[in-house]
Amino acid sequence: MVLTTLVALAGAAPAAAQDAGEIAELRTLIEALRSDYEQRLSELEQRLESAERAAASAERQPTPSVAAQRTVATPQGGSVTVGNAFNPQISVILDGGYYHDDSGGNGNVLLNETIQPSLGGHGEAEHDHAHGADIENGFNLRETEIAFTAAVDPYFDAAVYLALESGGEVEIEEAWFATRNLPAGLRLKAGKFLSDIGYLNNQHPHVWSFVDQNLAYQNLLGGHGLQDIGLQLTWLPDLPIYTVFGAEILQGDQDRLTAFVGEDAERQALGLSAQKDGPRLYSLFAKFSPELGYDHALRLGASYIRGRQHQEVHEAPLFETGLEGDSALWGIDVVYKYDNASAYGYRDFNLQAEYLQSNKDLLVRSGDPATIGNARNLTTDGVYIQGLYGFAPRWQLGLRYDALGRTNEVSGDIRQRFDSSDRWSSVLTWTPTEFSRLRLQYSRSDITTIDGIREEFDTLWLQWILSMGTHGAHNF
Amino acid sequence: MKLLALFLVLAARTATAIDVVATSSSGGMLVREIAHQYATVEILAPPDRDLHYLQARPSMMRALRGADLLVAIGADLELGWLPVAVRQSANPRILPGRPGYFEFAAQVDLVDIGGVADRALGDVHPLGNPHIYMDPVRMATIATALAERLAQFDPAHAEDFRIHAEAFVAAIERKLPDWQARLQDAPGVVLFHQDANYLLYRFDVPLLGFLEPVPGIPPTAAQLRTLINSLTGRPGVVLYTTFQPAQAAESLARQLNWPAARLPLEPPLDAVGSDYIAHIDRWVEAIAAGAR
Repeated sequence: MVLTTLVALAGAAPAAAQDAGEIAELRTLIEALRSDYEQRLSELEQRLESAERAAASAERQPTPSVAAQRTVATPQGGSVTVGNAFNPQISVILDGGYYHDDSGGNGNVLLNETIQPSLGGHGEAEHDHAHGADIENGFNLRETEIAFTAAVDPYFDAAVYLALESGGEVEIEEAWFATRNLPAGLRLKAGKFLSDIGYLNNQHPHVWSFVDQNLAYQNLLGGHGLQDIGLQLTWLPDLPIYTVFGAEILQGDQDRLTAFVGEDAERQALGLSAQKDGPRLYSLFAKFSPELGYDHALRLGASYIRGRQHQEVHEAPLFETGLEGDSALWGIDVVYKYDNASAYGYRDFNLQAEYLQSNKDLLVRSGDPATIGNARNLTTDGVYIQGLYGFAPRWQLGLRYDALGRTNEVSGDIRQRFDSSDRWSSVLTWTPTEFSRLRLQYSRSDITTIDGIREEFDTLWLQWILSMGTHGAHNF
Repeated sequence: MKLLALFLVLAARTATAIDVVATSSSGGMLVREIAHQYATVEILAPPDRDLHYLQARPSMMRALRGADLLVAIGADLELGWLPVAVRQSANPRILPGRPGYFEFAAQVDLVDIGGVADRALGDVHPLGNPHIYMDPVRMATIATALAERLAQFDPAHAEDFRIHAEAFVAAIERKLPDWQARLQDAPGVVLFHQDANYLLYRFDVPLLGFLEPVPGIPPTAAQLRTLINSLTGRPGVVLYTTFQPAQAAESLARQLNWPAARLPLEPPLDAVGSDYIAHIDRWVEAIAAGAR
């Protein structure tokens, strides 16, 4: 108020005061008043601020009393979590790295096509677009995963996982919904999903403990593992020991288990039948986990998959042979985890192993007239065993042995055997936080190629995995 | 005949007891203290584990499968594993939002709320600090709320639950002046992680810093230097928990010539209310030791 009056006075001053000295005097006076006023104002502001601070801190730290606290506490709903926001939880995962092999950059193709009597969809269908099949020497971007998960309503959960390839192609890795309310420990899931057979099958690549998929999964199930569209029912009975039973009915869009010659003319020429209606693939699995306390966990699993229709085309020097029949695959898996109380994974130890065996009972439908109608039973097995140890907080060292085709043969009306392939891998993983991971992996592969040639080569990976958005799930 | 009668009595008891699963021993303690024999408690994570980093183990799903009530701490502390374990346990009764899901964080006001949701600042909890169990006063409030929740599952013993909760509240009330007096002149604490904030705020003990440069990141040499530079010459104490690495904490204490103490963050696995009070007592004693 004082200031405004003075300012008004000063505005009128030039007319009243002719003398320049008087004007200067007035200016000095106004300046003095203004600075005095501003000083007082800022003092007042400071006092107000400190009073507010004191009030706020008093609010934060009330005198300890249960009664006081109780009056403060407001009755709230059942849960406090970010997940209550209506948006789906979104996470984006970056995965890439530097790769080098001494096989001219061809190593990943060889690992994906180790010899086995069953050719699956090879030669007919598109090249199996598997993880790792299009890796070349140098820098590579592996799939970038975008995941959305949420409860849809009181009855359903849903999830979508998209994989973006570096070329821009988008693939739906998973898109499923599952029940929330079924009684008796039942849960029904429908859509496209990674099957819960085995141990590794339902894990996305960024969760693997090694950069690449093991030879058994890669060659018997394909780089994605068993990933298909259909229904899954799981049952967790209320028992003193963790026991889960599951069954899946799947469309059967599998290059390795339910391959199909897609072109009518070729199929007819080869004497192969039209495609049966889906679903063409069934799976069963069971998992058990005894109670071993807080430090140890052991899980045992068994799985069985059956395909109703499988076709293959084998090129021979004189004839193209069409084969058709059904396929089956069974496997057992065991996982042991030691959880040390130390932070950051220090002294934790994991040991896991799986064995898979694929059997295809096929009949020769075309080719050499002498063999038409013959039975061709193709059997190939695969195994991997891996151990990982947290040798320092956030640092993990691992070793893996994987092999394909220790049993690798054709039986039925002919007998044929094929060589096996195997590989040793060692891995060093650094996990600075839960959201980032760097990994160095060296492997020595001894592969028998699809042409029966033995290839030995070394591969080196330097991988990065980064996760943005929603906190990842710590699955067992 | 006697045996059969005993068996029947036991069977009747287990049939009526509320099947409670608690994520940590603090929850287990409250359930035992309030429900006595009318509930069975199974604990998913022992007190020597860091609740941030557990995996959803099969034994958790087995425990959750038949549970009537799940007692969690919440505020995203168990975020990595509890949602997975609950989903895979195929038990709709304990889904968040339903009567079978009880969360500490939903019963009291949280501190340190509203930080920037930016992981460049570490593993932050914008919802507020989840380590609520370190505040005895909030635990008293939670006990009262939990008694009401347990009463929904066993209305016949509702009055017992209320009485037991009141007794726990009274025990805390009785202890408060003692804790307050012992911590009056506490010079301050350096923590490893933001896990005892509630206790320090409650008794106005200065929180002088953290060994972690940002939450979830192990101590760095630079962080140690910063702490030493700012704290040299003043008294205090370095506190860290049983699952946190000792090296940085002990080294800081040595250089500042302070005491250091390694303490469990939660009461023992089989704790009841008195063990919880003893647990807080240990922390109070360790904090008060900084004055010497």
